[in-house]
Amino acid sequence: MAVEVSITSEIAEKLRALPDSSAVALHLKSDQYFDAIQGMLDRFAMKKDLEVVYVTSTIPSQSIINALEVLEIPMDHIWFVDCVSQIMMSQAKRHPHAIIVESPTMLENIMLKVEFLIRGHPDRNALVVLDSINSLAIHNNTKILSEFLHILVNHLRSRGAYTVIFSMREYETDEIRNMLVLVSDDSIELGK
Amino acid sequence: MTGIDAIDHILNGGVPRGNTVLISGSVGTGKTSICIEFLVRGALNGENSLYLSVTEPTDKLLMNVIPFDFFDDKLVRQGKLQFVDLPKIYDKLGIDKEDLDFDQTRLLADTIAGIVEEQKIRRLVLDSVTSVCYRIREQERIRDFLLRLGTVLSAKGCTTLLVSEIRSSEDGYSQWGVEEALADGVIVTGNLERRGDLLRTLQIVKMRGTTHSRAKYVLDLTTSGVLLVPLLKGGSVASGG
Repeated sequence: MAVEVSITSEIAEKLRALPDSSAVALHLKSDQYFDAIQGMLDRFAMKKDLEVVYVTSTIPSQSIINALEVLEIPMDHIWFVDCVSQIMMSQAKRHPHAIIVESPTMLENIMLKVEFLIRGHPDRNALVVLDSINSLAIHNNTKILSEFLHILVNHLRSRGAYTVIFSMREYETDEIRNMLVLVSDDSIELGK
Repeated sequence: MTGIDAIDHILNGGVPRGNTVLISGSVGTGKTSICIEFLVRGALNGENSLYLSVTEPTDKLLMNVIPFDFFDDKLVRQGKLQFVDLPKIYDKLGIDKEDLDFDQTRLLADTIAGIVEEQKIRRLVLDSVTSVCYRIREQERIRDFLLRLGTVLSAKGCTTLLVSEIRSSEDGYSQWGVEEALADGVIVTGNLERRGDLLRTLQIVKMRGTTHSRAKYVLDLTTSGVLLVPLLKGGSVASGG
């Protein structure tokens, strides 16, 4: 339990220290995953009154929503762009705060859905979470993924939004690291 | 300005006032939605806007149209935004034959121009010009119809979108080739298949009076209107659209 608290606090503190419109690569281990989400959404985004657009290509949005409910994190300002539920042919009910993208290969559609959700809340600054670069790399080659990140991050920066890109240490390659260095302003290594 | 942010952005301002623009694409690529947003944005801006439907009754069309967040029923009630079925105009003009002769073609162009003048229409959509041209048939008469209509509407400061239906396999942007040659602008919508994914695309091929982007964009039709992002080029493209 002590470790969980330290991870949630650590990520919130590190994100708070960043200037607005920052793009951050968040390097974490799989066992830090839900603590990182809690710290980012509950301790950082809520305190800063941010509208959260959470792009998931790792696990279905409903799984994250279930975890948020357990953690009693309100969903009012959290929206999902879910790129995995459709390819998993999941029959699960769709949460009203989740938009489905048919496949993680439809990178342009991910950008369009992020833009749509941000436009829906013009009066609030946004935090866009990309979970994760590793799962996107399973479905996309490095060239198109780099291009996607470059366009998305710069667009979000121009809109004053924070971007956090998850990278799971166990699945990181040199290519992924290089890609993240290219587009991020900063890098957070959780637990180091 | 069209009022559609994404399109105005890639046009570097918008469609110049009085231009006649061909919106060309195969089925399901978003032509009608773009046109309706163009009219709604215009009406919201105080410009009288008219949609002339040729193939689909407007009642049915309105049932299936995207429920735009910015749409206001008041626009229709106040007559700022009008929907008219062209077959009703054919009936009024006594045009009952399938093929339009030279005089009927001129009468149709003059009637549309008359409505535009009388109603002070500043934005017009003809959906689709292809269906009208099917009844005119001969290239010379099609040319005469489009020239006559385009000249009059331009002089009245009415910006016009002509919907052109093409098959995805076709070269060119219109059924007869005349339409694209006479239009001031050509906007092409399409479907692009990439590794089994079907993406809606939009590209400005021509727009007189602007320095526009010529790149291909991916399109999304949303309740907040048309959204565009650049087509990513890093991946392998199986076939064009």
